[in-house]
Amino acid sequence: MARAPVRAALHGFRVLGSLLLGLASGGALGACTNNPYPDADAERKVLYTVFREAPRTLDPAVAYTTASHQITGNVYDTLLEYHYLKRPYELIPSLAEAVPEPRPLPGGGVAYGFRLRPELLYQEDPCFALGGEGRTTRTVVAADVAFELMRIADPAVNSPVTEPFSNLAGFREFAKALAARREADPEFGERPPHEQYAEVGGLEGVRVRGELELEVVLRAPYPQILFWFAMPFTAPVPWEAVAYYDGDEGRPRFADHPVGTGPYRLALYDKQFRMVLERNPNWYGALHPEWQAPGAVYPSEGEPGDAEAGLLDPEYVGRALPFIERVEFRREKEPIPTFNKFLQGYYDSAGIIQESFDTVVREDRLSPEMAELGMRLEKSVNPSVFYLGFNMDDPVVGTAAGERSRKLRQAMSLMVDVEEWTRLFINGRGVPAQTPLPPGLYGYEADYANPYRRVDPERARELLAEAGYPGGVDPATGRPLRLTFDTADTSARGRTTIEFFVNAWRELGLDVSIEATTYNQFQQKVENGAYQIFQWGWVADYPDPENFYFLLWSEMARSKSGGPNTANFSDRRFDRLYRAMKTRPNDERRIALIREMRTILERERPWIELFHREDYALFHGWLRNVKPFGMSFPMVKYRDLDAERRAELRTAWNRPVRWPAYALLGTGVLIAIPGFVTFFRERQ
Amino acid sequence: MLAYVLRRLAHGVVVVLGVLLFLFVLFFAVVDPDDIARRALGEKALPEVLEQWKANHGYDKPLWPWQDVRDNMLFEHFRSMLTFDFGRSDADDVRISDRLRQGFGPSLALTVPMFVMGVILGIVFSLFVAFFRDTYIDTMGVFLCVLAMSVSILLYIIGAQYLIAKLLRWFPISGFDPEPSVVARFLWLPVLVGIAQGLGSEVRFYRTVFVEESHRDYVRTARAKGAGELRIMARHVLQNAMIPILTRVVLAIPFLFTGSLLLESFFGIPGLGSLTVDAINGNDFSTLRTMVYIGSLLFILGQIATDVSYSLVDPRVRLE
Repeated sequence: MARAPVRAALHGFRVLGSLLLGLASGGALGACTNNPYPDADAERKVLYTVFREAPRTLDPAVAYTTASHQITGNVYDTLLEYHYLKRPYELIPSLAEAVPEPRPLPGGGVAYGFRLRPELLYQEDPCFALGGEGRTTRTVVAADVAFELMRIADPAVNSPVTEPFSNLAGFREFAKALAARREADPEFGERPPHEQYAEVGGLEGVRVRGELELEVVLRAPYPQILFWFAMPFTAPVPWEAVAYYDGDEGRPRFADHPVGTGPYRLALYDKQFRMVLERNPNWYGALHPEWQAPGAVYPSEGEPGDAEAGLLDPEYVGRALPFIERVEFRREKEPIPTFNKFLQGYYDSAGIIQESFDTVVREDRLSPEMAELGMRLEKSVNPSVFYLGFNMDDPVVGTAAGERSRKLRQAMSLMVDVEEWTRLFINGRGVPAQTPLPPGLYGYEADYANPYRRVDPERARELLAEAGYPGGVDPATGRPLRLTFDTADTSARGRTTIEFFVNAWRELGLDVSIEATTYNQFQQKVENGAYQIFQWGWVADYPDPENFYFLLWSEMARSKSGGPNTANFSDRRFDRLYRAMKTRPNDERRIALIREMRTILERERPWIELFHREDYALFHGWLRNVKPFGMSFPMVKYRDLDAERRAELRTAWNRPVRWPAYALLGTGVLIAIPGFVTFFRERQ
Repeated sequence: MLAYVLRRLAHGVVVVLGVLLFLFVLFFAVVDPDDIARRALGEKALPEVLEQWKANHGYDKPLWPWQDVRDNMLFEHFRSMLTFDFGRSDADDVRISDRLRQGFGPSLALTVPMFVMGVILGIVFSLFVAFFRDTYIDTMGVFLCVLAMSVSILLYIIGAQYLIAKLLRWFPISGFDPEPSVVARFLWLPVLVGIAQGLGSEVRFYRTVFVEESHRDYVRTARAKGAGELRIMARHVLQNAMIPILTRVVLAIPFLFTGSLLLESFFGIPGLGSLTVDAINGNDFSTLRTMVYIGSLLFILGQIATDVSYSLVDPRVRLE
């Protein structure tokens, strides 16, 4: 029990000892360099990047943030994955031999059969000794995927993605049976999870057929389930790791010690300042380059423009991945030092800080000064949508007021200048949204312009008059129509961003007040339906139109089911179209359904669509094969870097300027000498 | 002296208990445990997940002992703090005692050189300006000290990172690595900033003490007996000024362990100061209360150590 504290204390003393040694041996002269890395790494293929806060958890069933996916996405390989270059996004097989086709079942269900590649190995880890003395790894079996799916269902794991998996046959029943057994028999809850799962009979909808085959059974068609098999939530996890890493006797918790099959393994994990990924020699791509598996070699195809952008360089096409040998994550809490270190060449990529935006980006392009240093600016639109919503259950702005409220919503929509808003508050880093669907997704129409998403105050006034509020005045009171904008953002900046909208509506004569409360109070208001207008955003889990249009499906209404349809929009025709679109493959009919749905939204205006978030990232010229992915999937294995070129430029950019030190010293001496002379003359 | 120390310790215990009660009211009686859970788990956490988290962290118990004398949050708060069983972080469930042990090394690596060099330089410079009192060196020294005291530490940090690390490229802008070959290069800049920021007030204080001492009778006597100016300053004045110096120095020593909030945060040093800032930013109440509690303990110990040190350097002082 005492080992961990002792180790931690020894670590503390070692750091102090290191410092004294460093100060004694290095001295000021030796330390006179701004290079934060050991010299020995200068010409190695090490990718340097940053993290602000360490991930809360690296348990693949729980980790749901971009920061944690930087680790879990590299350590845990999944059955499927996304093609690196193709857009719209396309799934390719990874640990599975093929992307499965749905198999309809009697009774309306559907099954997907996966077959794992043979001889897949986990990374080396002491936990495998639980399965036999001296063992440091083992082959991946289909039961490991089943184990992870059961972990998602396990209430004790607290996975945030139970909802999409609840369509698995027996999912909720399995969770209930586990909880009931644990409550009835506390000793049962102390046993290793894999034994508990076996004891309650496993998950009905996950059928293991031999060592390598697995069948997943859904109660109703849900083609989007395949996207979840490209996320770390469903990666195979060895039961040994979960049982061994329990946080006792000096062992870390499983949430801090990932054991996977990915191209990298977590070699160092210090949440306070450094995380290191190193190549996993047991990765199937390294062990079996002859397979030429699509997820283990650089792709030969992409989208139009990729070849011109140098992303299909013959030097790389078909070569075994990964190219980078180590990934170093250094903790940086402050954005300005991070950006300055990027400019010095010590980070290979960076976001653009607000303070330097105008220096870096001019007229939406990289500034000539930055381009001269060999940097590149890459923009990518996230699969996200940010919008203003109306509570459709509200008697004034909602459905109950019929045509009157519809015209009011249309009028308000015509007053919101989103281009100006993004320019003022987010440096223009957003693509104005015309529909819920962002660019890059199936069904997105680049040439579609929503007639209510332009700025037209004249038409807005007409609509308002037609709605029965001429000049914004409510005839019932004789005063401007009073509406509230409810928000959980109590910051000064948050208020300013909302005032932009409110001021636009005031031009119509409407009296919109901002009600800023704490998050809990806001949630309470939402639960009680006591809100009118709100601002919300959605970042999709997977790139499918279903994951956006379900936000307006009546079954997901907040007032009805507590779902994410916070506008409580309910339209029978829309629901019918949504259900038909949800399960269709990507074909012409699906496009037609999406168009019909967006026409309904265009007229009904439960949302005022604002923008799709756009990320701007800077990359040094020595980094190769960079194509921003848009979603939070680490694509490190496809990237490469020219370490020699980087070392040369770092040296050239970071020569210390020493003369000010000598000048300062000289000035001090010159000032002091007359004083000394005068003083001693007087004393004598 | 033992009786005095025991009495001071007893007073200290009362103060610590008061601090603990204040912390409890501030962190747990005012803030709703639901809020703490939601901040830890995120806004989308399911109600049953929130309840489980609260149970794991003991936030599901009644606040006050009216219902159950043993099983309540107040009792658990005092028990965990007084037995130094700080529990797990609200943010990521890591044992707080492990975090403390990991953080004190980097904190000391920053604060010890900063403190030692700061005290030495402060005494040397103040002896220097006191030696040249009433000359332009003294005037200029005092002016520079006042100037240095008037500038915010944030300006020192940002200025040093921009000028010394970015433009002159002498040291890394920020970061940390315990490897012996590189650790010093990360610490030079924050140590220099820490010294520069504190030097103004140190020199002003010590100079006042030294100038006051140098007007005393024993200095005149020493000078009349033919002692040199350097000997008078280094041997007589310095030794007799030890009490105010010790008051300042000994009181500061315990706080070396808690690190420097701003320096660690801005320079990316993973010490206890940085841990405290993280706890504040992350609403990690369990870590924050531990840091405040340790701070109060160290303050009380520092005060007792200061009193004891008086009797060691000045035979006239008796602790009774």
